[in-house]
Amino acid sequence: MLRFEKRDKTPIQLRVLVPICSVLLGLLMGSVVMLFAHVNPLRVYGAIVKGAFGSAYTFSETLVIAVPLILMSVGLCLVYRMKFFNIGAKGQYIIGAICGSYLALFGPATMSRPLLLTLMMVLGTLGGALWAIIPALLKVYWNVNEVIVTLLLNYIASYILWFFMYGTWGTRGFPLSKNFALNAQLPRILPPPSRLHIGLFFGLAAAVIIWIIIRKTRFGYETRVLGENERAARYAGINVFKTVIIAAVISGGLAGLAGIAHTSAVLRVLQLEINSDYGYTAIIAAWLAGLDPLVAVGISVLLAALEAGGYQIQIVMRVPFGIVGVIESSILFCLLAGEIVTHYRVILTRRLSTPPGSTPRIGKKCSVALDERARGGA
Amino acid sequence: MNPTFGSILISVLAGAVQSGTILLLPTLGEVLTERSGVLNLGLEGLMLIGAFFGFLGAMKTGNPYVGLLLGMAAAAVAATIHAFICVTLRGNQTVTGLALTIFGTGLTSFYGDNWVSQRLTTVIQPMAIPGLSRIPFVGPILFSQDLIVYAGYILVALFWFLLFKTKVGVNLRAVGENAKAADAMGVNVVGTRYFWTIVGGALAGAGGAYITCCIHPYWLNGITSGMGWIAVALVVFAMWNPFNALVGAFLFGSIEALQLQLQAAGTYINSALLSMLPYLATFVVIIVATLIVRVRHVGTPKELGIPYAREEK
Repeated sequence: MLRFEKRDKTPIQLRVLVPICSVLLGLLMGSVVMLFAHVNPLRVYGAIVKGAFGSAYTFSETLVIAVPLILMSVGLCLVYRMKFFNIGAKGQYIIGAICGSYLALFGPATMSRPLLLTLMMVLGTLGGALWAIIPALLKVYWNVNEVIVTLLLNYIASYILWFFMYGTWGTRGFPLSKNFALNAQLPRILPPPSRLHIGLFFGLAAAVIIWIIIRKTRFGYETRVLGENERAARYAGINVFKTVIIAAVISGGLAGLAGIAHTSAVLRVLQLEINSDYGYTAIIAAWLAGLDPLVAVGISVLLAALEAGGYQIQIVMRVPFGIVGVIESSILFCLLAGEIVTHYRVILTRRLSTPPGSTPRIGKKCSVALDERARGGA
Repeated sequence: MNPTFGSILISVLAGAVQSGTILLLPTLGEVLTERSGVLNLGLEGLMLIGAFFGFLGAMKTGNPYVGLLLGMAAAAVAATIHAFICVTLRGNQTVTGLALTIFGTGLTSFYGDNWVSQRLTTVIQPMAIPGLSRIPFVGPILFSQDLIVYAGYILVALFWFLLFKTKVGVNLRAVGENAKAADAMGVNVVGTRYFWTIVGGALAGAGGAYITCCIHPYWLNGITSGMGWIAVALVVFAMWNPFNALVGAFLFGSIEALQLQLQAAGTYINSALLSMLPYLATFVVIIVATLIVRVRHVGTPKELGIPYAREEK
């Protein structure tokens, strides 16, 4: 029989071992799914690695995908710490892209490049933040389930994009905006054909800043307390309302920034497919990183490699991209299952194996209670 | 009312009942799952799994009912993953449900790639109930449907009776309200949660399979298009009561049918805005329903989403 004893502290080796085992098991589960479809998993994984890291160019393309993942997952690390489950990064990303693109498409053409780009990034960030503030307000005022709300807002955001693209923003009935002027293109940092852009530095800066917020500021401490016990947080005088709103605005703003940065630097045009499913991948990245923003950077690159490789296997081997979702979710399943080992000490026991006369090991609280009873009896 | 308007109304409402049934089955399942204290946000993924394996079963056997059963079975297996992680291993239910949705989406688009746009030749056919279907207006809307729609009606009554009038229902609710007390009374907490999570999964699968085996008899990636999430929201709207689930599901079925009807009629309303309508309506409904639940203190199982650990206080 299995018994679980709550741990006070998770040993560091488990914190490392569990995610690594999760990734390996997730890849194994992905292989099983592939075998059922008579696809050779070794060839697929080989092609994914080659498609992601095979050359300097493919690696830079991996980083292109990593940029939005980093920006979004880092923000999610902050909100998930207080158990505000914003799964609306996708919608915030889209709204950010729309808001920033508005300026690129309809703004004054004569504006200087640095000023226009700055305004676009600010507007995109504000758009994402606005889209995140809605579920946050609903949560703190009326306790409306943020998971459902953010998810619905993802769909609503997609249709808003659709509305503009098939409406006045599209060209000749195609859901494709006119190309961004040079002034509205975020600079790329490597010679072509690489599309890697300065958004990478936004992401790295965001990761460091969020890390500092979580580790070194009062606000970061408050988000942590709030996540562990809301009632305790209220008693401790933490302003729950303010904390939730600020954290949601930060995570939504970063998602919005990711949206406009990717659109302006990589696509250079607003279109229906702005690869916004990165919003869901970012959730996996944040969770896999144990909600540590610096670790999330590395995990984002790994998941970006999986996505970049996934596009390659679809083109080269005609293996459907859906396998990437299977692998990602399998990794997440294993990670969630693995939390039992990080939160609890798992003990294998046989039923009724306690020798007579000895105190059964039934966890700390109970033994304290037993001690007290013994003292009372004495 | 002129006759043509009447007949249009009847066909729209009959369509609403069909669309409503797609939502009703997962909503009913989730009502029971959540009553037992398990939050399963993976309905969208489970519906997709049901839809795809339902389609596959119907394609391979030529019998849409066999397809439906296969879809239910596949979704039930997937729901077992959720139960294992959330009940046995006490994992985070929100994130596990989300993982389940990503899993279902990925799995079905991976296996479904070869099947995209292929059509089923035989689909589930309507069977009018003798007598009842002759009732003017109501008959053609409610009683000239297929067996799955009727199964939905029966399940509503059955689950309501089970939940509020039987010992099984009392135990089920006790597990969701106060697992420790239920455990002390000798109710099998783990078994109950597993059972209703798996039943909920099978019903979500049935909802998905009903799409492919009857309404849209072909396969498309992501064919459920967010209906699983609407079902999750409808559970709050229903205040965890099967009868309200019926009302909510048919109401949303009507919105869906109206939206399709307006698009088909080529009205001047923008199609993006029309497609947004069900999600916007759900958005409004979840807010209103949450407020009502707050004021009236009904429904929400107290230990929803909280794993049960016997040895902890």
